[in-house]
Amino acid sequence: MSLKYIARKAGWALLTLWFILSVNFFLFRIMPGDPVALLARSQRLSPEALDHQRQLFGLDQPLPQQYLTYLRETFSGNLGVSILSGTDVVSMVAARMWPTILLVGIGTLIAAVVGVLLGMRAGWRRGSGIDNGSMYTSLLLYSTPEGWLGMMLLILFAGALGWFPAGGYSSASSGGGAGDVSSHLALPVLTLALGYVGQFFIVMRASMIDVKSQDYIRLARAKGLTDPAVRRHHAAPNALLPTITLIVLSFGFVLGGAIVIETVFSWPGLGLLTYQAIQTLDYPVLQAVFLLSSAAVIVANLIADIAYGLLDPRIEQV
Amino acid sequence: MAAPAMADSASPSPTGTAAPTVLRVGMTSGIDNPNIFAVTSVAEWQAVVMQYDMLMRFGDKDLTAVPSLATGCDANADRRVWTCHLQPGLKWSDGKPLTSKDVAFSYKFVMDKQFDYFSGYFPEGTTFQTPDDLTLVWKSPTPTNGPTVPAWSYVVPEHIWGKYANADAKTIRAVSALPNVGSGPYVMTAANPGQNWTFTRNPNFWGPKPAYDSIEFQLFTNQDAMVQALKNGQIDIADGIEGSLLPAVSAIPNVAVQKVVADSWINLAFNFGGRPTANALPALQDIRVRKAIEMAIDKQQIVDKVYPGAASPGETIIRPLSAYWHLTVPKDKLIPYDPAAANAMLDQAGYTMGSDGVRIDPKTGKPLKIRMPVSDDTPGSTQAGQLVASFLKKIGIAVTVQPVTAGKMYDLQQAGDFDAYIWYWSGDPDPNYQLSAFDSSACPGLSDGCWKDPTYDAMFAKQQATLDPAARKVITDEMQQYVYDQVPNIVLIYPETIEAYRTDKVAGLTAVPEGNGYLMPSYVYTSMVNAHPVQADTGTTPTTSGSTGIPPWVWAVVAVVVIALGVLMVRRRRGEADREELD
Repeated sequence: MSLKYIARKAGWALLTLWFILSVNFFLFRIMPGDPVALLARSQRLSPEALDHQRQLFGLDQPLPQQYLTYLRETFSGNLGVSILSGTDVVSMVAARMWPTILLVGIGTLIAAVVGVLLGMRAGWRRGSGIDNGSMYTSLLLYSTPEGWLGMMLLILFAGALGWFPAGGYSSASSGGGAGDVSSHLALPVLTLALGYVGQFFIVMRASMIDVKSQDYIRLARAKGLTDPAVRRHHAAPNALLPTITLIVLSFGFVLGGAIVIETVFSWPGLGLLTYQAIQTLDYPVLQAVFLLSSAAVIVANLIADIAYGLLDPRIEQV
Repeated sequence: MAAPAMADSASPSPTGTAAPTVLRVGMTSGIDNPNIFAVTSVAEWQAVVMQYDMLMRFGDKDLTAVPSLATGCDANADRRVWTCHLQPGLKWSDGKPLTSKDVAFSYKFVMDKQFDYFSGYFPEGTTFQTPDDLTLVWKSPTPTNGPTVPAWSYVVPEHIWGKYANADAKTIRAVSALPNVGSGPYVMTAANPGQNWTFTRNPNFWGPKPAYDSIEFQLFTNQDAMVQALKNGQIDIADGIEGSLLPAVSAIPNVAVQKVVADSWINLAFNFGGRPTANALPALQDIRVRKAIEMAIDKQQIVDKVYPGAASPGETIIRPLSAYWHLTVPKDKLIPYDPAAANAMLDQAGYTMGSDGVRIDPKTGKPLKIRMPVSDDTPGSTQAGQLVASFLKKIGIAVTVQPVTAGKMYDLQQAGDFDAYIWYWSGDPDPNYQLSAFDSSACPGLSDGCWKDPTYDAMFAKQQATLDPAARKVITDEMQQYVYDQVPNIVLIYPETIEAYRTDKVAGLTAVPEGNGYLMPSYVYTSMVNAHPVQADTGTTPTTSGSTGIPPWVWAVVAVVVIALGVLMVRRRRGEADREELD
């Protein structure tokens, strides 16, 4: 693989990042309302005090000036302070990253493994009981609103049975040990995995069906290989390629958080932070989480591009 | 709480004898910053109340001033100089002495840094002197009731905040260090951002020793989940429950529900066009039209449909939580719900009904069409607005309801760009702030629609100049009645707050104000000092009790399934390998 190819892809990634950075900035500022005014009612500020606050956050500057300041500070690693709480945005976002990685990462991983394994079997025996059963279950789960699914699991397992806590990441007094966090994690991860498993299943199944009719499968059978051996060593590896793309891209979205599930389970991740920041028009926080999640997607895309180049040399020509 | 968590929580208590007692509170808002000067959310205000003291505080009975750090304050003849006497022996939670110098520093600090939500009680030019450690002399440029309002401003330690004397407000708000140093019964010692916050008992608290070793706030971003947590024992108290969940909460065994009397009011305000850019409907300047609107609105129906079980119809501008100051309108002075009379009144006033069912203003010849934005930070405002529109349709007034964000609403208010709007009011339990919002001087600032009335202004000035609470109460009642009669706005709804707690876990919670007030520390910490575990003496109930966790039989089933799957896979794999060797 040539360095030129990698450089070209990386260049595009940087350009995309700059574009997102700019959209980020202007998008939130054309939203109606004034973040400082939102503080006013709760804090009983006078109009003079509001002007004072605007000055502090640089919101009285002309927009192009604010934009240049924003670019300069972002590239020097300063994402500003939250308008609402006054605290450093970088540390706010950092504190929310781990819970999100834990929840969305594990959930996506479980969904991918289960979806791929099921899809492999279902596609191989198209029309069988296992195919029909898992197909309908997947479609049902895929089309179920995850917020509703989460609520049902919560009412059953946290409310009625009392097996798991009804929300949060850890109990304050239990010190957040692994066991404590796992018991809090169980329901949101289950919800997320159930909600995501469908897409992996459907892609894997379709690709398995496609591969099954290829000539090399016929050849493998003609050699007299057993059915499981053909499936495992000849069909599955080829059918996995499109699914891998989906998996890599899905992991790119991990840092975007899972807004609905995090809200249902009071999970202190980036999704919840985004939701709260939108409600209060907290520009610096919004910019930071959008920047982070877009950057993660861009990086995941870059990895996928480079991986393609490695797997299939023809792609470099495109 | 699940089984593994209980194992983790077995950390020894300081004495090693009994498990530490913890009061767990479910909250619907969180604490983004433990810093008192960055306070915005409900949870943050409650945290401030638990950790800090006021010079004089809100009284448990009716929120009028009672002694706190100060045993009392005396005024000179013209009420420009107040002398307050501190209790001896006060200490901060870190053991350093709390003196009048801390009080003077705190007040000057919030004035200098323009922390307006704390400094509103100190007009410019106010000075503070400390002749000795127990005496504070408060000098005001104008006559004031200052300390006995009481001044809703908290005393912070100079030895902590003094180093920021030259910093700007932004730097001070960014300070975020724990543990906090305060003088209240509990101080925040730990925070897990976005999830829970721990307040530990202050060993140097000057009042009676609270029963709980610590209090935990846990954030729930989902109200139903908070109710489930109360049910399974994960929390002992749930704060700020929505009215729609009232039946679900009431059905839980061993749960008591506290409906807190309205601490805010939902406001339907009219625009009188006092702002330079204002754009107001002329017909609404006619008091007969406004009165007809008040008569056409079925407030009880709004309560039943939008806020079931958690509100009452609104009346006067001082909310019921300000128990001492709130006026209940006498029966003979009530403007009754009577759409027929409202129609007759509009007919008589010459607003003839148009062919499309909308009345015509005889002065302008234009139809009575009202643009009514409703703010999304006001719970139920959209549904309430739609009901209002349906009521007014029956008297020939067309209303367009426009839901907007609170930020947009602020823009509309400041521009005077609305005919009527639905928003809310809250604030100081002392009536002065709320009354000031109707004074002419509140335009263009706080005022809703720039209503200006010289009679009211004169009453407001008189109210400000009166010190004696009984005399002030008389004027305040007159002012509330006057606003009610003039209808510059309609007090639509008094929304209530719902709190619930486990009666089998916690006792001693004390409502402030007395009877139907808050159990949570919204204005004072009394309830948190009086609260105690139900079985504190037996020592048999660990405080982590609650949900039983996953029962052993579930673990057993899971284990059997996992082993069976494992065995199956190994056997199949072996079989396959044998066959492949044959290939």
